[in-house]
Amino acid sequence: MDVSDLLRAGASKQKSIQVEKGIPLDIDIAYLTATDPNPMDEEEYKNEREEYLHSMARENAQLLINHLFSLPVTSSPDGPIAQLPPPTTSLPRAKPLPKPKPPTRWEKFAAAKGIQKKRRENKVWDEEKQVFRDRWGRGGKNKELEEQWLVEVPQNAPMDYDPVKEARDAKTKRIAKNEGQRLKNIQRAARAKSSTSQLNPGQEREKLKVQLDRDLAQTRVSTASMGKFDKKFEGEAKLRGVKRQFDPNEKSVEAEKATSLAIMSKLDTGRPSKRSKGDNDDVLNVRKAIRHESRKGGQPRRDSQGRVKRK
Amino acid sequence: MRPLTEEESKAVFSKLANYVGKNLVHLIDRSDTPHCFRLHRDRVYYVSESLMRLAVSVARPNLVSLGTCLGKFSKSGKFRLHITALDVLGQYAKHKVWIKPNGEMPFLYGNHVVKAHLGRITEDTPEHQGVVVYSMNDTPLGFGVTARSTLDTRKLDPTAIVVFHQADVGEYLRDEDTLF
Repeated sequence: MDVSDLLRAGASKQKSIQVEKGIPLDIDIAYLTATDPNPMDEEEYKNEREEYLHSMARENAQLLINHLFSLPVTSSPDGPIAQLPPPTTSLPRAKPLPKPKPPTRWEKFAAAKGIQKKRRENKVWDEEKQVFRDRWGRGGKNKELEEQWLVEVPQNAPMDYDPVKEARDAKTKRIAKNEGQRLKNIQRAARAKSSTSQLNPGQEREKLKVQLDRDLAQTRVSTASMGKFDKKFEGEAKLRGVKRQFDPNEKSVEAEKATSLAIMSKLDTGRPSKRSKGDNDDVLNVRKAIRHESRKGGQPRRDSQGRVKRK
Repeated sequence: MRPLTEEESKAVFSKLANYVGKNLVHLIDRSDTPHCFRLHRDRVYYVSESLMRLAVSVARPNLVSLGTCLGKFSKSGKFRLHITALDVLGQYAKHKVWIKPNGEMPFLYGNHVVKAHLGRITEDTPEHQGVVVYSMNDTPLGFGVTARSTLDTRKLDPTAIVVFHQADVGEYLRDEDTLF
């Protein structure tokens, strides 16, 4: 049986996979994206817009798929798999750039003095053992003195001099100092951030003082006896609570009425009920009442235009 | 005895408005004798101005009560209506529920109103709306909160709760010691 006729007939129905384009497409195959820089054919677009767009989309998709098939292919149990190259289009980042961190005290000093930051390697050369060792961490060089089996004792050392303890204390002290500096840097940064408002240093200080007084008052009553049986210091001021102030009992009833009405009107605007659409606060449902009335008259409720009939 | 602060007024008015709606204006702005709200020992009283001025001369420990007690402020600052406020609520209630004679006693013993005892109800009452409960001859018996809207009550079975009980006149006897 000769199938070449059938094949030819089938092929003539299908469109060609070869597409001619004036300017080649920008294809970033990694994102499966193709951008067509060719100008639109305005006349054709105006006459048969749908068809034109359809054909253009098909051609461009065809080009993209042609490109995909030109890639090196490896076979796998799921079928042939093409290896996509790394993307060439650089996409903008999704998140905004992080804000620069406020400089630490050292960074400020270094900037003023023009000191360049050098990266300090963690590995240091050990002359004795002829190997590179970690500067800190497990088996670090900073623990060298603590791990010596024999240490020279200074001339004027006391009787209970412990060189290992001495070295270890010095190390922990350095760590504590560094931690303190770090916290101070954070504090300074927070203060700088808050003081970007219009407060001058005097006002800033006043604000801190008020806050401190408030904290102190809070801590004084924050014991099991609420401060009643605590040790009192000499000259310690007595804690005073907030003095409440009320309106006089016998004031003009007119003024009181006005304030009450003001409060009441504020209440209403404060919470518009979900159920009461518009002016539905009355018990009378106007829409329903009209319907009821018109039905009672035995008339058709609505005329041909769909309007409610009135007498 | 002192006038209410703004927060206290807000609490009282919003609670009252739950039952009387916009009629609250008639309580504040009365055409006959001017009335005012006064707080005495955590209780809120609705007093006529002349009575309030007389009560000023009574020392605070000696003053037991004045005017109509509307309710009390709890220690956490919430306002609770008492049954004594029924006079005011019954007069201006926006949404009402009438109960059949056979349902009156169960309600007066502090039970919720069930569908079987429901005589009439204001049309278009929404769910969780404060309502005043009346007997069929229009005597106010207490107040509560609707469990269902008017439309939904039609579909309920007879034992289902229609109005949640909040206060009833039976409390005058039951809570005689703590009410005043």
